[in-house]
Amino acid sequence: MARGKAKDGDGNWKKFIWNSEKKELLGRTGGSWFKILLFYVIFYGCLAGIFIGTIQVMLLTVSEFEPKYQDRVAPPGLTQVPQVQKTEISFTASDSKSYEPYVKNLEKFLKDYSADQQTENIVFQDCGEMPTDYKDRGPYSDAQGQKKVCKFKREWLENCSGIQDPTFGYKDGKPCILVKLNRIIGFKPKAPVNDSLPAEVMAKYSPYLIPVHCAAKREEDADKIGTVEYYGMGGYSGFALQYYPYYGKLLQPRYLQPLVAVQFTNLTYDVEVRVECRAYGQNIQYSDKDRFQGRFDIKFDIRSS
Amino acid sequence: SNSLTFCLLQFSLSFGIQDDHKLSASELEEKYGTSINKGLSSSRAAEILARDGPNSLTPPKATPEIVKFLKQMVGGFSILLWIGAVFSWISFGIQFAQGAESPFDNLYLGVVLALVVILTGIFAYYQEAKSTNIMASFSKMIPQQALVIRDAEKKELPAEQLVVGDIVEIKGGDRIPADIRLISAQGCKVDNSSLTGESEPQSRSCDFTHENPLETKNIAFYSTTCVEGTATGIVINTGDRTVIGRIASLASGVGNEKTPIAIEIEHFVYLVAGVAISIGVLFFIISVSMRYKILDSIIFLIGIIVANVPEGLLATVTVSLSLTAKRMAKKNCLVKNLEAVETLGSTSIICSDKTGTLTQNRMTVAHLWFDNQIYSADTSEDQTTQPFDQSSPSWTALSKIVTLCNRAEFRPGQENLPIMKRVVVGDASETALLKFAEVILGDVMSIRAQNKKVAEIPFNSTNKFQLSIHETDDPNDKRFLLVMKGAPERILERCSTIMINGKEEPLDSEKAEAFQTAYMELGGMGERVLGFCHLYLPENEFPDTYPFDTDSMNFPTSNLCFVGLLSMIDPPRSTVPDAVSKCRSAGIKVIMVTGDHPITAKAIAKSVGIISATSETVEDIAKRLNIPVEQVNRREATAAVVNGMELKDMSLQQLDDILCNHSEIVFARTSPQQKLIIVEGCQRQGAVVAVTGDGVNDSPALKKADIGIAMGIAGSDAAKNAADMVLLDDNFASIVTGVEEGRLIFDNLKKTIAYTLTKNIAELCPFLIYIIASIPMPIGTITILFIDLGTDIIPSVALAYEKAESDIMNRRPRNKKKDRLVNEQLAVYSYLQIGIIQSVGAFVTYFTVYAEQGFLPSTLLGVRVDWENNAINDFEDSYGQEWTKYQRMYLQWTGYTAFFVSITIQQVADLIIRKTRRNSIFQQGLFRNKVIWVGIFSQIGIALILSYGLGHVTALNFIPLRFQYWFVAVPFAILIWVYDEVRKLFIRRYPGSWWDKNMYY
Repeated sequence: MARGKAKDGDGNWKKFIWNSEKKELLGRTGGSWFKILLFYVIFYGCLAGIFIGTIQVMLLTVSEFEPKYQDRVAPPGLTQVPQVQKTEISFTASDSKSYEPYVKNLEKFLKDYSADQQTENIVFQDCGEMPTDYKDRGPYSDAQGQKKVCKFKREWLENCSGIQDPTFGYKDGKPCILVKLNRIIGFKPKAPVNDSLPAEVMAKYSPYLIPVHCAAKREEDADKIGTVEYYGMGGYSGFALQYYPYYGKLLQPRYLQPLVAVQFTNLTYDVEVRVECRAYGQNIQYSDKDRFQGRFDIKFDIRSS
Repeated sequence: SNSLTFCLLQFSLSFGIQDDHKLSASELEEKYGTSINKGLSSSRAAEILARDGPNSLTPPKATPEIVKFLKQMVGGFSILLWIGAVFSWISFGIQFAQGAESPFDNLYLGVVLALVVILTGIFAYYQEAKSTNIMASFSKMIPQQALVIRDAEKKELPAEQLVVGDIVEIKGGDRIPADIRLISAQGCKVDNSSLTGESEPQSRSCDFTHENPLETKNIAFYSTTCVEGTATGIVINTGDRTVIGRIASLASGVGNEKTPIAIEIEHFVYLVAGVAISIGVLFFIISVSMRYKILDSIIFLIGIIVANVPEGLLATVTVSLSLTAKRMAKKNCLVKNLEAVETLGSTSIICSDKTGTLTQNRMTVAHLWFDNQIYSADTSEDQTTQPFDQSSPSWTALSKIVTLCNRAEFRPGQENLPIMKRVVVGDASETALLKFAEVILGDVMSIRAQNKKVAEIPFNSTNKFQLSIHETDDPNDKRFLLVMKGAPERILERCSTIMINGKEEPLDSEKAEAFQTAYMELGGMGERVLGFCHLYLPENEFPDTYPFDTDSMNFPTSNLCFVGLLSMIDPPRSTVPDAVSKCRSAGIKVIMVTGDHPITAKAIAKSVGIISATSETVEDIAKRLNIPVEQVNRREATAAVVNGMELKDMSLQQLDDILCNHSEIVFARTSPQQKLIIVEGCQRQGAVVAVTGDGVNDSPALKKADIGIAMGIAGSDAAKNAADMVLLDDNFASIVTGVEEGRLIFDNLKKTIAYTLTKNIAELCPFLIYIIASIPMPIGTITILFIDLGTDIIPSVALAYEKAESDIMNRRPRNKKKDRLVNEQLAVYSYLQIGIIQSVGAFVTYFTVYAEQGFLPSTLLGVRVDWENNAINDFEDSYGQEWTKYQRMYLQWTGYTAFFVSITIQQVADLIIRKTRRNSIFQQGLFRNKVIWVGIFSQIGIALILSYGLGHVTALNFIPLRFQYWFVAVPFAILIWVYDEVRKLFIRRYPGSWWDKNMYY
């Protein structure tokens, strides 16, 4: 059916774009363009109205204080500070530039934990020096105003608090990391049943504690890790239960999640050492797919020069 | 090139024969090195066979299967998808080299895209192969034997082994095994219909009668049949060098035009590909200038292409066409080329044969004249009684002549068959008379047995009568009865009396005048008229021992008694007038092209309505006004009967003029070659032309036509090969049902495409918004493929089963240039209106899923980089909760599933609204097309299986979805339905308005 096709030259294209006889741009006159554009302005206007309307209606069904579903966010993840790409901490102890990003990251994170940030007694509550039970603070609504928040003293982190050593041990090749459990509104982590834990964790057991323990990821790295120091509330290596449950950004805008600092004081240099840290609790789980659920692993590569 | 083809045809045909027809027998012997008595020697024959090859037609060169397959792999959207696949692999390669965390996603995507192309390619290839196979059965021929003289012995050989110079003997019933120059013939007649389309047997002798080898009597052509007699001849051409072979190769030389639907689909593919590429490139530029990495931009580009290309659509179109082809096959239209299904629907001119297509292809008694009165006989296909007045004694006499003066006989053993279906030995007229008599009088054979035949002179061309003498069945009447039939004027010459109401009356000039009038009237109806007379021989002169001698004719053959006239015609099929009037209301012009006499052709054309009752030809007007033909205003004549001889001398301009200015045209006395010229003339008018044909000589016209229709019963293999469609019952009415199906499928394909294009916008918008607003990805590329190739397939095929909205046969044929399959309105309405509503609906679901999990819409804007960062495992949501990467991905997949489900739910509404383009769904009936519901249930079923059944297969990215999310998009589905009903209402209310022009597709 090649017949007649030769006639459709590029002349027709030019004519289609601007037809001077009929004063048509792209096959429509000015008036026609006006009408069709007006139609689409109205059409999309209505559609935008419907969209915004339905989204608003949907938002009305959602509470400000707690999400409707938490099945995707729980069980909680376990994360570390400093936050690193490819979960690798790699530096040279003698070169301050090489660990500067980690130190800055830690310092920035701990700013909210400084004593001078926890002075307002309306917001903060002293929850003691030892792990105790959950602190329920009533319903998830602002009927009683904002909820109080437990203080967390930066000094508890001792060598890793950055108070005495602003490089968090990095300059001595003894790096600190901070371990925290991801915040989940209303989540009450349950302390582990004691006989299910590794012996090292059992050493300092408290029924009000979610213990944290770091060990070599691989068996053969076990001797390369050296001594691991844990600092936390009351010297416990874990998260005290009185910090739970979390009431959300709106009710506890200045919530301080409990931390555990882990310092590797005798890491072997110049080899990659894989460390895995786990939190232990009855409702803290691990998953093959999600490598940050209830545990994380991190690589250390400390160069001697 | 038009007339060139024709000239080439003539030239090449004549060239092959050279001047063998002019040579004497001895010259021929010398030329071919053979002996008429001894034939060739076997060794010489083997040499020639080795030189010339076997005596068979080379089948048309088939495209190699692998080429056909590869064509499917790169046709249509495949190129775009290949580009997508290659980009995926490139980005996999780059990511892999950079050591990224999950580069394999892109590898899989590339593999999936390649698989999609390959699978749809295999499917299309399979469909094409299937429809080709239907035809393969036709080309199978039974191996033919030929009686050859070789080594001075008669041998039976396969016709394939014949060589030039062989002496062959043929007899009645044989197929001519090669082109043969006859050297002796006894009463030989051949049926050249496979060559010329004319089924009247032609006599053959060894005399050179015409310069043109095609016209001379001493050549018989390959593939024609010898009807009666015997002949001996020299083989002068074999295989492809025969006349038939040349025509066949010429026909394959006439290029196959692209079908209208192929053009439409190409147009549609260009349109969609254009949209895909321009949006893809535009957003590639946007994303690069928004400082996305090049690699990311490429990945976006793949997503945009995949979202834009309706992967399943071409397969759907193929399935819809083949469903229609199946439906048409049930109605006796066998479609060889799937696309021809629609071509038939856009047909604007049908050039139809007369014999066998418009008519029943058998002579039937149509009128009788006796007692000075014309009676009409029933000519329908299954006559069981004849209603005319049979009480007159003249009829009794006439019926006796009809019964007795007839040599035709039924083949034995057909007593249980209806009379009209029985096979008769005898020529066409005698068969007609035999069946006519059998219907009225009952057992003709026993009547003949009771009236024993004592003498007979068969019909010959000098006498132009047939005569027989019988004893009578009345035991008291010892007279012999002489019965005679023949050309009316010859019969009348021999009569001195005429029977009126059973009494013999003298034949005076007044009665002769009445005879003339009746004869002219019947002849004017294009009928073949026969006269009948009889004479009771006086008992005293012809006692029962009288020795009748037909050579000396010792009995009277003049002063007979004229009894009556019978006229016969090949009557139109009873379904044809209705079909022609359907064509008329459908705006299709029916042109009759026949080799028959103009008067017969015109009579049939009038009786089937090709020439309507009120319209006149130039000649009719001249006759009415009593003025010379030249003075008639040609514009006044709506009808025209063009003679083949006139056509020969016409310029192309004159032909165009006729085709343009007359709405009712009959071409009579045309040769099959002229058919090609007529077809080309019609195509010059911009028409989509359907042509019927049966002879080998028709094949160039069949090829040239937009749709060639071969006759299944009468058609030759060459015609069937050249045609796009085979009419199994040879009935014109079947073409019209085919047209109806073709038009319906065009409408329904429009609906299918509109349905399919809509969701492409809902698949595309997520990508665009993802790029611009940096929200988490709303839908994955793989998920899109599951819509395009999963949930959407059955519903889009289901639209092919939709009934027509209004009488599609009351519409003009579509204008090839203006009525596109995919027009601006269709694309704009699907893309910019329904598609956008769908996207909005799907986004509402998406935002709902995220909000109920903790990410309010405001939080989602601009999060893309952190959201996708593997190192961030404490990503904060609107409530201050912290998410690991995997938790976010899991939520993202939940979003994919929700988006997918929303599109599916809204596609249900889209499917329902696409059932009609103008009428309300409630007018069309929601439940009339059950297949639509199969589509809806399959759609939802597949979605349920994907979400809940395969929700744990990570690679597929489907997640078991909370039940309520299935309903979030329902209000939008309802909105789509209501909006479309309003659209249709306005279109019906205000035809021609702005709304109608912009919103009707």
